Amino acid sequence: MENTSPSPTRQNSFSDFFKGNRGILITILLLGLLPFILALFDGQPISSLLANDPGKSKFYQGLAIEIFILAIYALSYDLLLGITGLLSFGHAMFFGVGAYLTGIMLKSFGWSLLPILGLVAVAGVVMALIFSIVLPRVKGITFALVTLGIAQVFYIVIQSRELVNYAGAEIGLQGVTPPEFLNPISHRLRFYYIGLVAVFVVYFILKRFVDSPTGHVCVAIRENEDRATMLGYNTFYFKLAALMLSGIVAALAGAMHGLFSPIIRPGIASSHYTIAVLLMILMGGIGTLDGALIGAATFRLLSFWLEKWFGGASQVIIGLVYILLVLFLPYGIVGTWKLRGYKVKQGWVDLIERFTGKKQET
Amino acid sequence: MENNTLLKVNDIHTFIGQFHILQGVSVEIPKGKIVSLLGRNGAGKTTTLKSILGLAPPTQGQVILDGEEIQGRRSYDIANMGIGFVPEHRAIFRDLSVHENLLIAERKKGDLEKKEELIFSLFPDLKRLIKLPGTNLSGGQQQMLAVARALVPDNKLLLIDEPSEGLAPVLIEQMMEAIRQLSAESTVLLVEQNFIVASQLAESYVIIEEGHSVKSGKMVDLAADPETIHRYLEAA
Amino acid sequence: MNTLISSFRRNRTFWITLLVLIIIFALGVRGLVDQEAEGGERYKNVVITILRGLSTGSIIFLVASGFSIIFGLMSVLNMAHGAIFMVGAYVGWTVAVRPDTVVDATTPIALLISGFLLVPVWDQIIKKIKISPALSRLWPWLGLILTLLVLGFLLPKYPITSWDVGSYEISPVNFAFAASQGQVNVPEPEQFQGISPLIGLGGILLGSILAGITVTGFVASRRPTTAGRAPQPGALRKSLINFIIVALLGLLLYIFNTPISNFLYTLDSTWLFIVAILVAVATGAGLGILIESTLIRPIYESHMYVLMLTLGVNAIIIEVVRSIWGAPEFTMHRPSVFAGTGEGCPAESFGDLLQYKCSTIRILGGRVRTYNEIFITILGIVVLIAVWLLLQRTRLGMIVRAGVQDSEMVKALGINVQRIFTIVFSLGVGLAAMGGVIGAPSTGLTTTLGDSLLINMLVALAIGGLTSYPGAAAGALIVGLLQQFIIKYGQIGINIPFVEEAFKPSPPLVPAMTVLLMVVILLVLPQGLFGRKE
Repeated sequence: MENTSPSPTRQNSFSDFFKGNRGILITILLLGLLPFILALFDGQPISSLLANDPGKSKFYQGLAIEIFILAIYALSYDLLLGITGLLSFGHAMFFGVGAYLTGIMLKSFGWSLLPILGLVAVAGVVMALIFSIVLPRVKGITFALVTLGIAQVFYIVIQSRELVNYAGAEIGLQGVTPPEFLNPISHRLRFYYIGLVAVFVVYFILKRFVDSPTGHVCVAIRENEDRATMLGYNTFYFKLAALMLSGIVAALAGAMHGLFSPIIRPGIASSHYTIAVLLMILMGGIGTLDGALIGAATFRLLSFWLEKWFGGASQVIIGLVYILLVLFLPYGIVGTWKLRGYKVKQGWVDLIERFTGKKQET
Repeated sequence: MENNTLLKVNDIHTFIGQFHILQGVSVEIPKGKIVSLLGRNGAGKTTTLKSILGLAPPTQGQVILDGEEIQGRRSYDIANMGIGFVPEHRAIFRDLSVHENLLIAERKKGDLEKKEELIFSLFPDLKRLIKLPGTNLSGGQQQMLAVARALVPDNKLLLIDEPSEGLAPVLIEQMMEAIRQLSAESTVLLVEQNFIVASQLAESYVIIEEGHSVKSGKMVDLAADPETIHRYLEAA
Repeated sequence: MNTLISSFRRNRTFWITLLVLIIIFALGVRGLVDQEAEGGERYKNVVITILRGLSTGSIIFLVASGFSIIFGLMSVLNMAHGAIFMVGAYVGWTVAVRPDTVVDATTPIALLISGFLLVPVWDQIIKKIKISPALSRLWPWLGLILTLLVLGFLLPKYPITSWDVGSYEISPVNFAFAASQGQVNVPEPEQFQGISPLIGLGGILLGSILAGITVTGFVASRRPTTAGRAPQPGALRKSLINFIIVALLGLLLYIFNTPISNFLYTLDSTWLFIVAILVAVATGAGLGILIESTLIRPIYESHMYVLMLTLGVNAIIIEVVRSIWGAPEFTMHRPSVFAGTGEGCPAESFGDLLQYKCSTIRILGGRVRTYNEIFITILGIVVLIAVWLLLQRTRLGMIVRAGVQDSEMVKALGINVQRIFTIVFSLGVGLAAMGGVIGAPSTGLTTTLGDSLLINMLVALAIGGLTSYPGAAAGALIVGLLQQFIIKYGQIGINIPFVEEAFKPSPPLVPAMTVLLMVVILLVLPQGLFGRKE
């Protein structure tokens, strides 16, 4: 899906777009029909579904919305780590900033939604600028540590007594009333479709970014920053661009979270939430935007079911899954899928060898 | 003839990362002789040394030391069988003093004491510098220390990578003299860019070109063969 | 003199940064001097704050030193370091409060370890037996399944007299209080349920031997046929003796479980504290060996994956601690030598201190806690010197310093770098666990202990320079002092010009200040104060 050939003529670009993104478009279609399919299986009439009556469909819509939010968040981190190669341990800060700003502005200041979204985007840029202060000076692991530190400061500040009236300290921000037309309870189906559209709009924007000349330079920086510098690019600006775009997207994902979830907990700004997104793109496959989508879905569904089956022990199991992934499946689901041509063949050869004890001629 | 061979490298292939660096290198080193690996930059000479030592393990072919296959073993096991290594770029330990640099090469206690006399007779400078940290040494002194370090334990075979690189002519003389004295006690596989140095030290040669060993023979014959020299060794 | 000046020129930024830090420090000290008090009393706040800073710095240093040596040598950023600090604290607390549980748990652990000590023996035996390659690839899997069946059946049945996490969560305070008063009734050791102890213990031993054989099989099937040389004479006998010792230790502990538990309960809390330190260090080091050899070793060429891996390990350890010890916070009591409050206390001089074992001492009019401020600081300095001596004066230290620069060349000298890595990793992690026990009486125990320490430690290392040993010490000192000064100022308030009310930062904001300092220092000196420019 990555290597769609560039369109030879302008007229063909639409059909090419459809051909190149066939998988994604089918996915969108299926997800669009999902609430109705679920309702059908549950025997819920369509009118009741449209009225947002409680039922299996509504429950799974909620789960899907969480996945959409996580997917946007994961996409933004993949742009940073997977495409540009910047290892940041403070990504949860962007998400937290988005969520808390949305919550605080709605609850304490009574702003309406559009200005809030604008403010959130600006906040994402500002936070990216804060990260970028150290960007030209430190690289690799030190950058990771600095971002971890800055994000931790945010995490501490958000829980501090000084802000308790706004952010609710350790308990989290409660009692946010989202605008009526987007109420996640009474208008969940609408929220679902908006979330669905948001995910794929972000996906296509980021894909466009990766395919743009700027995106190519970002990939070059990931591969070998010195070489990119030698080619005459000021890598700082490209990294900054990626950081800003990623910051905006993550902050908007946070804003969605702020609208959707009844309590905004400080945990979403902690380093655990950065690790969670790392796990998502690791599951899906680093550097593949498709991987971020699949990883977010896998992660949320896995933790949902594990929690259902194992209760408190589920965290340990998720941790084990994570470690096994790092050890045995470092390319993730999508990465491994892409390698399948080679791997499947190799796997067969290994299997035959294992049972016959003979080396096959290949 | 077979008993007389100390090390036999038989058609090894080595990857570094995804790059197929060595694509069939064979070298044979008789006991007590100096053999020189020749070739242009990036031909795979250093990789050959590392493959022998297991630092860059070969994926194919054999490395036979004293009749025993050693490829695939751990580097430290291979080194402990009696192979000393002098890496290029004078890779001494900068944070360690000269004395510690020698001490760390001991395989059993007292190795250094036994060899101290030999080392200081070869490199009298080092005696004076013994307490200094490695950082404070000049390039030539560092190179001597790197060679001296390989002499501390009893080694059957020394792998020496570019000993003359970046040295002043006087020091090159001294280094050559030292290597000559060494070959009386052990066998040497020498990687050398400087053909004049190599031709004066080594009895035989192996030329490596783009990961293949392409030609080998007696050094005397090579010196009389300007066409081969031009073809494989002079800058293209 | 000339060299001094030229070194000053070369490192201008470094010296200026240092100067600025000292000036800030001096200003901070000046602000704390109590102008209204008389004579020595004036410096009361200064002394207390500096001592507290040193103590906080010592704890950070205990953890940071191991972390930075591990990072320097192996390029492994061990994000699980904080978690192991926490494990150390919890294990130490358990030894201090419930030694019988520790005795109970040691038997199965010793038995489980013993089987792996036999690996060299199996290795030789396997080499002697010739079987077809297909079979040699298959049987380890069978062994694995068998091992899991045996251990999975027996281990849950093993009787460990422990606490009920559920009832703990209801009243942890009462429990800790009763424990500190020596009022915990020693519970009766539990018995194997449904199986005879002989089968239980023998089964676990068998399971661990099977596990050892399985591991040998897996390792052998991965290795090229020619690799591996004949073992050194005596190596096999040594591993056999080790096996017998460890297995016997486990069995003896089982047989003499009750007398040993009772003996531990009669011990004075100071002795128990020493036992706690030993057990915690052993636990930490053991975990270190386990993590290094099973998880990190296969992938430590790819640094980013190691980083992600250790993050995962960190999360798992925290969850496991939470499931064993539950969520409540514990306090650990100071060993009795530092807990006296009776006659002659607070001590006026060090002589008194030794005589009355006071919990506090009066220095320049300020009451200083002996354990928190003095003991921890002294211990930090002792460890600083001990590790420095280890690095400078021993062969291990020499190899570590060499390996930090070029581990490939160390390999080429015939040194088993892998073993050195394992040793260094377990030592560093063990040091962190020790820090956990030492710090527990002053910080208390929570499941977030590790995370907050990890942040402090990373900040300290970023300030000092990631791989530099003096840097780790300096960074820890700076972070410790800065934190305590800010906390102190939070109490008395900072007078900011043109602002009416004094600014009082609340304690949770303290780490934020240190991070700020880190960012500033990294802007000026990207490698940290003592880091080497690449």
